[in-house]
Amino acid sequence: MDLDKALGIAARGMDAQTTRLRVIAENLANQDTTGSTSGADPYRRKTVTFQNSLDRQLGGDAVSIKQVGQDAAEFPLRYDPSNPAANADGYVKLPNVNSLVEVMDMREAERSYNANLAVMQATRSMLTRTIDLLK
Amino acid sequence: MLLAMDPTQIGLFDLAERRLAWIARRQAVLAQNIANANTPHFQPHDLKPFAAALSGMNASAPVRTQPNHLAGAAGGASQTEFVERPSARAPDGNAVALDEQLVRLADTETSHALVTTIYKKYLGMFAMAFGRGASG
Repeated sequence: MDLDKALGIAARGMDAQTTRLRVIAENLANQDTTGSTSGADPYRRKTVTFQNSLDRQLGGDAVSIKQVGQDAAEFPLRYDPSNPAANADGYVKLPNVNSLVEVMDMREAERSYNANLAVMQATRSMLTRTIDLLK
Repeated sequence: MLLAMDPTQIGLFDLAERRLAWIARRQAVLAQNIANANTPHFQPHDLKPFAAALSGMNASAPVRTQPNHLAGAAGGASQTEFVERPSARAPDGNAVALDEQLVRLADTETSHALVTTIYKKYLGMFAMAFGRGASG
């Protein structure tokens, strides 16, 4: 039935946004994680991409996570010779996480999650109203 | 006269049923669009208006002259579904406008409420005719 399908699609959408939010949380939590040995790479920012692919269980297309990739951007450097991760010149590589970008991403994830929730609520009330025809 | 008691032969019930099926299908299409609000290169879809879908329902299907020929998908979902012209496009190629989709969602919900209410009222009139009171 199409209404059930709509519920399933919205659920998959919420699931995808939740994964995205989890990755954002990882990025934000690790925005100060440097390496532990001299000259080692710090935490590298993770990215999430979505795709619209066939979901056999649902019998139609649904959104899913394509991959959790890594941001290839350069690590910013900071002069801090006392840090254990400092290289021979005294520079420490910092994670390429920009908290502004992450917070913006978080807002977007929240907005998309809410939209999917609205679909679910609308579909549910439609289902209830259809069932009410039997009363 | 017995034929008229078949609920699928009663015009309004038949129409309501078709409308509800159309609404359910549109709901699935809109859910698809909204779930893919952040998918790169995704194009939103929509269904043709109900009036157009209704007028195409009695269209003549091609006749199979050979039993080996494929039957084709006359009246299938793909015939009424179309990719809409995007009003805006994100840098990643996604063309879903969430506000637009949510307006359509509300529209679908309202027409669903309308159809189910009319259905119920009409059913109530039958109940009245059968002498069971107008509960419905």
